[in-house]
Amino acid sequence: MIRILSRYSILFILTLLVLAILSFALAYLFPGDVLQNLTGIVPANEIQREALMRQYRLDQPIVFQFVHYLGNLLQGDWGYSSASGLSLREEIGIALPATIELSTYAILMAMFIGIPLGYYAGIRSYSTSDHAINALSITTYSIPVYWFALILILIFSLNLEVAPISGRISLLFDIEPVTGFILIDILLAEGIDRGVALRDAFSHLVIPTFAIGAITTASMVRITRRSVIDVKHRAYIAAARSRGLSGWRIFSQHVLRNALLPILPLMVIQITTLITNAMIVETLFSWPGIGSWLIQAIYQRDYPALRVGMLAVSTLVISLTILIDLFNRIIDPSREKYERASV
Amino acid sequence: MPQFSLYEEAFHPSPWHRTWVAFRESHIAIVGLFVLAIFVIFSLFAPLLTPYDPIAQNIDGLLIPPSWQPNGSISYLFGTDALGRDLFSRIMYGCRVTLGSGFLMVVLAMLIGVSIGTFAGMLRGVRSSIVNHLLDALMAIPTLLIAIIIVAILGTGLVNSMWAITLALIPQFVHRTRSFVRAEMKKEYILASRLDGANKWQLFVHSILPNMTEMLVVQGTLALSVAVIDISALGFLNLGAQSPLPELGAILADGLDVTYLAPWNVALPGLTIFLLVLSINIVGDGLRSALRKRVSH
Repeated sequence: MIRILSRYSILFILTLLVLAILSFALAYLFPGDVLQNLTGIVPANEIQREALMRQYRLDQPIVFQFVHYLGNLLQGDWGYSSASGLSLREEIGIALPATIELSTYAILMAMFIGIPLGYYAGIRSYSTSDHAINALSITTYSIPVYWFALILILIFSLNLEVAPISGRISLLFDIEPVTGFILIDILLAEGIDRGVALRDAFSHLVIPTFAIGAITTASMVRITRRSVIDVKHRAYIAAARSRGLSGWRIFSQHVLRNALLPILPLMVIQITTLITNAMIVETLFSWPGIGSWLIQAIYQRDYPALRVGMLAVSTLVISLTILIDLFNRIIDPSREKYERASV
Repeated sequence: MPQFSLYEEAFHPSPWHRTWVAFRESHIAIVGLFVLAIFVIFSLFAPLLTPYDPIAQNIDGLLIPPSWQPNGSISYLFGTDALGRDLFSRIMYGCRVTLGSGFLMVVLAMLIGVSIGTFAGMLRGVRSSIVNHLLDALMAIPTLLIAIIIVAILGTGLVNSMWAITLALIPQFVHRTRSFVRAEMKKEYILASRLDGANKWQLFVHSILPNMTEMLVVQGTLALSVAVIDISALGFLNLGAQSPLPELGAILADGLDVTYLAPWNVALPGLTIFLLVLSINIVGDGLRSALRKRVSH
């Protein structure tokens, strides 16, 4: 146990170090001035430039520059956006939770709809209902997410007018971002009608969540179905059946838990797709998350923002991946080290 | 001795033939293959099949509706866009650009991924652990993020976005190859070859690779569907193919400006991407279950 933990923490630190090196290298790789790419500050004259160069150790060898950069990152000095001039740490602190919130609801939707449907299809495998569920999931899985979101906007926002097109909440509500999660922030906010605000935030949430969640749900159904069918063909199920256990008992005692095991590592692979989808959908709905923020940054050639944004998103995704991997390792010691199941 | 032997007359199909027989049993897979074949024909012979030049603008025919609508004209099957370009020709060329670049990316990613994966799979000890874990971590970085970074360094364009997606596709090939090579290396036929004095290269070429091709084909079709979705998404976000170039995502993004006036400019390119990806997925799924059937019987 301690060996596994130490192994994973070394892996985690090494990966973060690689990412930090990568983001530092980006300052040199991006077009333009290294000083501006690294800090986001445009020096007014040569004297100020000299001073900044010295402050950020850019006159020293590259190893010292990197160590100083790493120190700055850890202290929370992430530089300034060259487009808005604001502190990048604050901007990301607002944008990243918005994306996490959206993805969390999509994942929850995938778990509460996808896994039961997958179990149902897996148990009734090769029946009509299984074929129907399978066909539906492969169809949903193939829809390009941006087109799907556009169709949803067309139907629900423009034709039926049941949901707003863009944003997180109506501008009439003044919600102080405390946690960054809009639903929690509304509950924490003072002096507003919480019920109305919640309903408004919810109507903003529904379509983007559905657009991302439907595709995640589809792949969840496929993964779960496959896993259940695999478990059904194991020897211990045949043994249980030969002992005369009822179908329900076989399902609840043997299939249910064993089929869940391979689903978890596959969710890791889903996370990257999910975040990509979330980032695309955000730009369509003007959701103030990290995806639309990064795409704005690239349209405006805001290189400091891209450098830190890349670091923040990849750190988030990799921490999640390693955590799930570790969790999976702990609950399932029989799993081989590098083994990952396939969809 | 019997007059004739049943067993000698029996036909022994090759593994590929048996896969094809199993594949043929699924009607949906055959339909998918048929649709995919149409798309491939479109992309291969686009210059011969298209009625108009995909980037030629026609000021006299702006926003003509598709031919099945009352105002439409049969000479413009899918109608025209805001610059009077024939949508049907653009979509056909779009298949060529999107599917062609997707195919190129998958082949490239497969070549690189299989080499790295084999290398990593044959490594032992600490080195292998480090290589494997780092590759695992890289796999977790979202495609769009890699694409944004590459576009920021190299600038927008179809080729640059192709590099980004290739880079994002490589890890899954590495992963599958690595676990496959690891599993095979423990088997007895590899041990037999090793006892015959085969070195690692000979082991890979003569023993492992022939067993791996099918897995690679299935993985390749999956990667192709991802590649098509990603390249069109980048085109849609204006990070990939730029406007006059007929790329399905870019055509969709162009149509977005005139959604109210001409909804077919958004609906038809999107539908094409959807059908393309769906047919690739159905064929991939069919192949996978055919292989599974063949191996289990």
